[in-house]
Amino acid sequence: MIAHHPSETTLLAYAAGTLPEALAIVAATHIGGCHLCRHRLEALEAVGGVLLDSLPPAALSDDALDRLLARADEAAPAPPPVLNAGLPPPLDRVPLGRWWPIGLGARWRPLQAEGAAWGGLVLVQPGRALPRHGHDGLELTCVLKGAFSDGSGRYGPGDLSEPQDDHDLPPVAELGEPCLCVIASEGMRLRGLLGWGQRMIGL
Amino acid sequence: MTSDTPASDDHAALIQAIAQRRDRRAFAALFRFFAPRVKAWMLRGGASPVTAEELAQETMLTVWQKAALFDPARAGASTWIFTIARNQRIDSLRRERHPATLLPDPAEEPEGPVQADRVMAMAEQESRIRAAMADLPAEQADVIRKAFFEDKVHAEIEKELGIPLGTVKSRLRLAMNRLRAALGDVT
Ligand SMILES: [Zn+2]
Repeated sequence: MIAHHPSETTLLAYAAGTLPEALAIVAATHIGGCHLCRHRLEALEAVGGVLLDSLPPAALSDDALDRLLARADEAAPAPPPVLNAGLPPPLDRVPLGRWWPIGLGARWRPLQAEGAAWGGLVLVQPGRALPRHGHDGLELTCVLKGAFSDGSGRYGPGDLSEPQDDHDLPPVAELGEPCLCVIASEGMRLRGLLGWGQRMIGL
Repeated sequence: MTSDTPASDDHAALIQAIAQRRDRRAFAALFRFFAPRVKAWMLRGGASPVTAEELAQETMLTVWQKAALFDPARAGASTWIFTIARNQRIDSLRRERHPATLLPDPAEEPEGPVQADRVMAMAEQESRIRAAMADLPAEQADVIRKAFFEDKVHAEIEKELGIPLGTVKSRLRLAMNRLRAALGDVT
C-alpha cells in the first residue's frame, strides 16, 4: 500500500514537463505504480490541455500543413530499448552506470540524465543509513525494494520521499532485506559517505 | 481564421476519424486549431520561432501517427495533444535519446477495463476545468499559468512574482483543490 506521494508542485512540474530529467524519472517510477497519482496527473494534464486551448494562436508558415502531409507515411520512432529488464518502467529503459561501493553497506549506481539534476540507484544493507543531501534543492527518493524509515515515516516499495523541511534524521534501511531506491536531486552534493563516493568518481 | 471556441467532442471525433480511416480532412481541421496553439506554447517556453514551428510540426505528426492510441476514456483531445507537445519539448532539450517516451504514457499502458461512464467523464473533464479556471482568483490562475507556459520552476516563479516559495506552493495547492472540487467524482 503506497502511503507517500509527491507534492502538488512537484507533480505540476512533472505534468508541465519542467522537472529536470533525473527527478522526472524518479517521479515517473512512483506514478507508474500509483493509481492516485496517475489520476492527479491526469487532472493536471487536463489543465495543460485547457490552457493550450486558450492560447492566442501563433501563425505557421503557409506551407506547414502541406509539408507535414508529405510526411504522412513516416513511421513513428521506435521507443528506446529495454536495458534493465529487472527494473520497473521507466527505469528499465534508462542507461545506468556501474555499481560503486560508497562506504559500509551501501552501493551506488548512477543513471544517465541531462539537465539540472542527477540521480541513480542506491542499495543499502539492512540497518544502514541511506545518503541524504543538504536541503538546497528538490530531492526525490522512490523505494523499489525493502523499506526505510526517517523522522517523517516509513517508506516501503512504491513510496516516494520528498523531504519538505530541514529535519535531518538520516533514513535508515529496515532490518530484513536490503533497501533498493532510486534517488534524484538538484542539490549540489551529497553529504557523508555518498558525498565521498561522489567525489571519488568525479560526479 | 481558426475558431476560438474549443469543441472538445469535435476534436476527439477528428482524432478518431484519423485513427479509423487516415482522414486527411479531419487532420487538416485538427491542424488548423492546434498547430498554431502548440507553436504559441513553444514560443512561451522560450523556443525560437523556427524551433517552435518545428516542434508544432513534430507534435502534429505524432498526432497523425498515434491517433489510434487516443482513448477518449483516458483523456480529452486537448489534454492528449498537450501531453504530446510537452513530450516533444522534453525530447528537443535532449541530445541523443528520447526520454519523454520513458515517461509513462497513459495511452500506451492500458490498466484494466475502462468503465463506460468514464468516457463521458473525460469528455466533460476539460470543460469543467475550463469553467473552474475561469473562476479561479487571478493570483491562483497566475501561478498555474506560469508553471505551464513559461517553463518556470517554482523557485523562478517565486522570484518573478516576488512572493515566498511557501506562498507559491499554497496558491498552487488552493488552485488545485478548486479544480479538483470542480471535477467532483471524476478523478
Ligand atoms: Zn502517488
